[in-house]
Amino acid sequence: MANARALDKRRKSIRNIRKITRTMELIATARYKKAMDRAHAVTAYTDRLAQIVSSLSAAGTEVDHPLLQPRENPKAVRVLVLSSNRGLCGGYNAGILRAAVPRIRELKESIGNVTVDVSGKRGINGLKFRGIETAGNYTQFEDQPAYEEVDKIASGFLEQYITGQFDRLDVIYTRFISTSRQEATIETLLPFGSLDEGDESATPDGSNNTSQYEFLPTADSILEEVVPTSFKAKLFKCFLDAAVSEQVARMIAMKGATESAGDMISQLSMTYNRARQSQITGEIMEIIGGVEALEG
Amino acid sequence: MALRCVVVTPERTQLDREAEYVSLPMFDGELGVMQGRAPMIGRLGYGTMKLQTAAGPERYYIDGGFAHVEGDVVNVITGKAVPADLLDSEESRNALQEALDLPAKTPEESQLKSIAVMKARGQVRASR
Repeated sequence: MANARALDKRRKSIRNIRKITRTMELIATARYKKAMDRAHAVTAYTDRLAQIVSSLSAAGTEVDHPLLQPRENPKAVRVLVLSSNRGLCGGYNAGILRAAVPRIRELKESIGNVTVDVSGKRGINGLKFRGIETAGNYTQFEDQPAYEEVDKIASGFLEQYITGQFDRLDVIYTRFISTSRQEATIETLLPFGSLDEGDESATPDGSNNTSQYEFLPTADSILEEVVPTSFKAKLFKCFLDAAVSEQVARMIAMKGATESAGDMISQLSMTYNRARQSQITGEIMEIIGGVEALEG
Repeated sequence: MALRCVVVTPERTQLDREAEYVSLPMFDGELGVMQGRAPMIGRLGYGTMKLQTAAGPERYYIDGGFAHVEGDVVNVITGKAVPADLLDSEESRNALQEALDLPAKTPEESQLKSIAVMKARGQVRASR
């Protein structure tokens, strides 16, 4: 039987770890709620944008913009990978890397010129370990990505896309579907597929197109601005989704860790009690043996 | 007091209040909105939005976006809205200088430069 004292020591350290994981779970829960609120706030923005787009198309404007046109024979591709800065969040970063690495390899084979940008220390290190060179590294995004920061990156991408430095932008991020389901997703953001995509929820709301809008200065000029704005909003949504998913992943991972720490403690307690009991029994036997020896 | 002004940014609803009069920095000049304006959708430029409220005038720097007026509600959809008092005029002047130093060799570059310059000019004006 193992040493009772060593068992007790181990049990104590597991108790400490459980305290830490439980705290981390609580923190992740609080952060998740905050991140969720922000994700909801962005829908107010995108809904209004969608409303403008729908009234533009209702007014008979031809939806046509350089960002919307697919480019034939893309020569250079840009990939943006969104991971987290911190670990201890279960399979979150592994999932992202599992999606990203084959995609990057495939693009390298088919197109050749691939530039990879990564957000999050885990992604930076993970890709470095797998021998993929990265061009831009961002570590400033935590649980609440600021629009201003995303806007800078988005403007940079738009600028390079318009000036023809790359022909396609893929974003690899974890899409938040529900609390129990997040998926590593690859989305092509440039060329920007369609303006109405993913905004189906807004259409029944915007069906009251009875009012005739005045477009200032012209519908075309508004369209010229709507497309880049929608792109930025979409990229921002990707960052928010990634942040929410990270917190959910951490919450679940830490919950699991707390639970298994509890299981381990009860198991160890049992072994410890047995060890102590056998020690006591051993001591009693010794005493009895000693007394008998004296009497004899 | 029947005009409602709502400013929405991707991060949050920045402003939601009643106003008597709203002056919007449109792409091609200023536009005043009072109660009973016909529905319109407009492209915003980079400049100052002025509000006349019961509590007095208010000024915000608006960073592009759109205005959507319908039924006495002014929706401003923008990337950034900052109270004009919080802008630093020194900083915005530096930004203008940086924008003026951008290269403009190709048509695309010159377009990007003109946007950056417009943005910086709007900030300088708002920060005064």
